Amino acid sequence: MTLLPTTSVGSFPKPEYLTKARFQSSKNQISRQELEELERKATREWIEFQDEIGIDILVDGEMYRGDMVTYFAENFKGFEISGLVRSYGNRYYRKPVAVAEIERVNPVTVEWFKFAQGLTKKPVKGMLTGPYTIMDWSFDEHYPSRRDFCLRLAEVVHEEAKDLEEAGAQHIQIDEPAVSVRPEELELAIEAMGIVTKGLKAYTLTHICYGDFPKIYPKMLDFPVNQIDLELSNNEFDLLGLFKKTPFTRDIGLGVVDVHSHRVESKEEVKARIQKALKIIPKEKIYVSPDCGLKTREVEEAKAKLRVMVEATKEVREAL
Amino acid sequence: MPLETTIAGAYPKIGDATEEQKLRRALHQLDKGEISDEDLDQLRNEVTEEAIREQIQAGLDIITDGLIRWDDPLTYIARGITGFEVHGLIRYFDTNTFYRQPIVETRLEYVKPILVSDFQFAQEKSTKPVKVVLTGPYTIAKLSRNRFYREFKQLAFDLAHILHKEAAALEEAGAKYIQFDEPALLNHKEDLSLFIKVYEILTAQLSKSEKILNLNFGTLESLYPKILDIGVERFGFDLSKGHKNWAVLKSASFAKKVMAGIIDARNTKMESESDLSQAIHDLGEHVSFEQVWLSTNHSLEFLPRSNAVKKMELLTHVAKQLREASV
Repeated sequence: MTLLPTTSVGSFPKPEYLTKARFQSSKNQISRQELEELERKATREWIEFQDEIGIDILVDGEMYRGDMVTYFAENFKGFEISGLVRSYGNRYYRKPVAVAEIERVNPVTVEWFKFAQGLTKKPVKGMLTGPYTIMDWSFDEHYPSRRDFCLRLAEVVHEEAKDLEEAGAQHIQIDEPAVSVRPEELELAIEAMGIVTKGLKAYTLTHICYGDFPKIYPKMLDFPVNQIDLELSNNEFDLLGLFKKTPFTRDIGLGVVDVHSHRVESKEEVKARIQKALKIIPKEKIYVSPDCGLKTREVEEAKAKLRVMVEATKEVREAL
Repeated sequence: MPLETTIAGAYPKIGDATEEQKLRRALHQLDKGEISDEDLDQLRNEVTEEAIREQIQAGLDIITDGLIRWDDPLTYIARGITGFEVHGLIRYFDTNTFYRQPIVETRLEYVKPILVSDFQFAQEKSTKPVKVVLTGPYTIAKLSRNRFYREFKQLAFDLAHILHKEAAALEEAGAKYIQFDEPALLNHKEDLSLFIKVYEILTAQLSKSEKILNLNFGTLESLYPKILDIGVERFGFDLSKGHKNWAVLKSASFAKKVMAGIIDARNTKMESESDLSQAIHDLGEHVSFEQVWLSTNHSLEFLPRSNAVKKMELLTHVAKQLREASV
């Protein structure tokens, strides 16, 4: 693979026709088949776009997923979905509730992976949500402890990861955005990840969102994955200071565009961010990505951010 | 009466039934300019009444106004104080909920009462005493960003003076119970002596109301029993099943009133009646039932409304049984 490979964290915004179709489907106004046809159309469009601008490792964009935790909970046995709870302002969501032993009856993401991989010659990542995050974002009425719940989920997610590998996934990403919130449970999250990635030959990575990193670094480097992908732009690359003191020993996924702002970064800004990281982390270890999933941006904003990321990376790469 | 029941603070603003979602719809309509701010205020009043009614129906002895008007634990107060500007979203402790971070831009000043009219409204609608809940000065200081004060303690002291005025105004308006939520202390135990000074300012000469200090999102380990010296009458903390605070309680005798968070408001799993009775009996070894309020450990907004109702009903049911048994 080229130096400084470019990739994405996972989700892309859904085109308007798909948002509309999902709403209609929730009201039973269109069939499951009609919705899936549009999900495939949107996936195809995103794969074509990523190929066209020259991204190195692709994602399917998660056109068929709503929430990253609820999606898996809806597809695993043992979960129910709760009533509405508020996250902020006027935003509400439904939480999974573990009511029985969690089991995976059928592969959940494998068909989508195969579909997306069939559309491109570049590698497409298998995308999973990690056991710690599924546990932390769910209610639990079944397991005696958070630990029991988390470790059971780890086995279930491992089955899914094995099947993705079997289906040809060379990169498998297991997201753990929740781990930066409770430093005292970092050990548990690491142990669970060990179960997920055990025996996998694929390149594995995890994405962690911004939290209290000084409290979980360098311990976080114990995650048994090849790469840790981090949100860096959102906090002005403050984290790099930490890595000066204790070297970052894994490969790093370098978040170089802020996913929470409408503003599209300039090429110079993105180049400066990559160059800043290059002073501290060896070039062979760096992957370039947005800070997080882009699903909350408008389609055009997301595309513009990805374009500038790829262009900036190319220029930095050529100058190396 | 022994073993009175209450909730920690906020009540779910919407439920799953269509008629329980008017506030959510109204906020969408406000965004689109279809209704006015006055319409929204009217709706917030209606939902507040609903929250009050449901708490009373569930049998609680002391209720809150449900904090229906609050977006999060910080901004409702911060917007009422001159000198703050409210900025971007930050995760609230280890939850999957968020608050907008207040930024201190100039010296903070108290302009006028923030919660008094809310309290008056709620008390008018309620046959039970209304407990006023507000975030305490230390936690507001800690969770805000300070761009003005040279030192953190100046910020905390100014906030203590401001909220002291607010508490005095609430007492004046007839509030019998004023609760200060201070979860941030449990993450910054090294600040205990500063915290004590903040509370000297905050509670000075407030003698008409019962003041409650609510400490959740952590344990009292290494704060207890020294924390009991603070000039409030009652302490609230997490006593859900298996919580480390149970061990802390054993380390010294409990000399004040307690608001015992025995119901877990962060999980839908229903506590068993026998576990709850056992917990209350265990608590009785440290403090007399006359001194005990039974409560949820956290705001009920972490639960869907239907689950919140079930938990309140369970709490009052167990309290009633124990009261009857002890007569």
